Amino acid sequence: MPLTATHIAYYHLCRRKLWLFANGITMEHTSDLVADGRFIHENSYERRADKFSEVEIDGSKIDFYDAKNKVIHETKRSAAREVAHGWQVKYYIYLLKKSGIEGVSGKIEYPVFHQCTDVLLTQDDEIYIEKTIRNIEELTASPACPPKIEKKKCRYCSYFDFCWSEEY
Amino acid sequence: MKKTYYLFNAGRMSRKDNTLQFTPQDEEGKELPPKYIPIESVSDLYCYGALDANSALYNFLGKSQVAVHFFDYYEHYTGSFMPKDYLLAGKVQIEQTMHHVKKEKRMVLARLFIEGAAFNMLKNLRYYNNREKNVQPQIDSIEQFMEMLHGYTEVDELMGLEGNIRQCYYQAFETIIDEFTMGNRTKQPPSNEVNALISFGNMMCYSLCLGQIYHTQLNPTISFLHEPGARRYSLALDLAEIFKPLLVDRTIFTVLNKKQLQADDFRIELNRCIMKDAAKKTFVKAFEERINETIQHRSLKRSVSYKHLVKLECYKLSKHILGVETYKPFKTWW
Amino acid sequence: MYVILVYDIEARRVGRMLKLCRQYLNWIQNSVFEGEITEVKLKELISRAKKFLVLEKDSIIIFKSRDEKWLEKQIVGCEKNKIETFL
Repeated sequence: MPLTATHIAYYHLCRRKLWLFANGITMEHTSDLVADGRFIHENSYERRADKFSEVEIDGSKIDFYDAKNKVIHETKRSAAREVAHGWQVKYYIYLLKKSGIEGVSGKIEYPVFHQCTDVLLTQDDEIYIEKTIRNIEELTASPACPPKIEKKKCRYCSYFDFCWSEEY
Repeated sequence: MKKTYYLFNAGRMSRKDNTLQFTPQDEEGKELPPKYIPIESVSDLYCYGALDANSALYNFLGKSQVAVHFFDYYEHYTGSFMPKDYLLAGKVQIEQTMHHVKKEKRMVLARLFIEGAAFNMLKNLRYYNNREKNVQPQIDSIEQFMEMLHGYTEVDELMGLEGNIRQCYYQAFETIIDEFTMGNRTKQPPSNEVNALISFGNMMCYSLCLGQIYHTQLNPTISFLHEPGARRYSLALDLAEIFKPLLVDRTIFTVLNKKQLQADDFRIELNRCIMKDAAKKTFVKAFEERINETIQHRSLKRSVSYKHLVKLECYKLSKHILGVETYKPFKTWW
Repeated sequence: MYVILVYDIEARRVGRMLKLCRQYLNWIQNSVFEGEITEVKLKELISRAKKFLVLEKDSIIIFKSRDEKWLEKQIVGCEKNKIETFL
């Protein structure tokens, strides 16, 4: 499986989620939050789809790429989790750069809150991403699943029931 | 939460305007006014009556990930329409296969399934033992059988042990159930009312487990306690062992002891006992109520339905197979 | 979430609305649907309806309840369609 922006995002959210996801345990089908995210993606900024294009690069899908102004638009459901979102978009910029498209910037939009954040890729970011890619490859290839994180952070995760169902 | 729809009336199911239309028929085969079933609300269909349907419907059900389970006139389960697997994961497949092929690994899981099943059977017996039904002898024998669990090294020895435990357990039904006698457990065909109910209930439980497995990455055809091929989806048989006491047997005790089902709900033919249509409906309703009962889950700290417990069992099994956490079978804790 | 959805829509669009609602909810009488639905599916329904409705003329009203049990339902006269999962 090629390394995608989802891997990058999960890496920053929860290592265990990343490991499970990379090993084929997907949970999107059970999650209302994910379904809502998809809905927002498909229905916000509807007219935009004509102007922007969906770009697939190395297995990562950029929802809206404005080729003329070189801006990646990423839509997110919540206002939280910015760290992971930021790295996801930086990874897109990195991928584009690797294929020879320079000077791209990103915009994360939170239509529910009418907010947005601008994202740029610095040299340090690039070094960090390359290190992260190596970490992710190592982590997902390992036979050992990383431990659970703090339970209160898991409440809204689609893997909650999977990780926390136990018998005493 | 999506719902299970149970089709008892004969009729035609079709795809109409991107949703389901059911046109029931009366006794003479005359069509009654159609009913619409919102496709978005359907998790699966259980079919007991004669169902008329075409491939356009099955394509639509497949796309909407709706399974259909079929039962014949004699309340046997005859098969399922399962939509294409949509969650296959290579690593789980490989590891699940490894846990089947490698004997030590398979034995671990097979034992755990028996342990869970026996625990839940004992729970039922103790419950009635505390309510003036003396089933102490059966409790004692099952406990004795359980001591042998770790001595066995072959899966078929375990299946034999499981058979002995269940035989003992079913003997206790004689004491627990007020009006009916149970006699020996007879399957093909069931010889009396209680046997007919057990067969029918077990099939309901099997289909429920299959439905839940389908929504996880587990492969339903690779099992551990049962031999694959015992039935097409033998992993559902493994899981059903654990849940039958809680879901099926308790429902049987309730419908019989509360006289929701009585002698005239059954029909004795030559050498078999058959549930009348109304009896099937009554039982399925009681079963449906049972699986939707909720319980405060101890580790999730939220209320979950009994049906969801089956899904959680699949998750725990996946974790075991992936080496994340050792599987512990579900044991009724309340 | 349990909802009751009622609509008042111009005749030539009403058929489309009826067909759309049938995919998500149970018809109980003319222009009235009810049933269990998730937040997201309801959004999807509304968004699909908006694609053909004329919002200056048509209207949909949705009554929401967290659970069916918080809703007391009284039927006077004949019940046009009983919602059942046993058919």
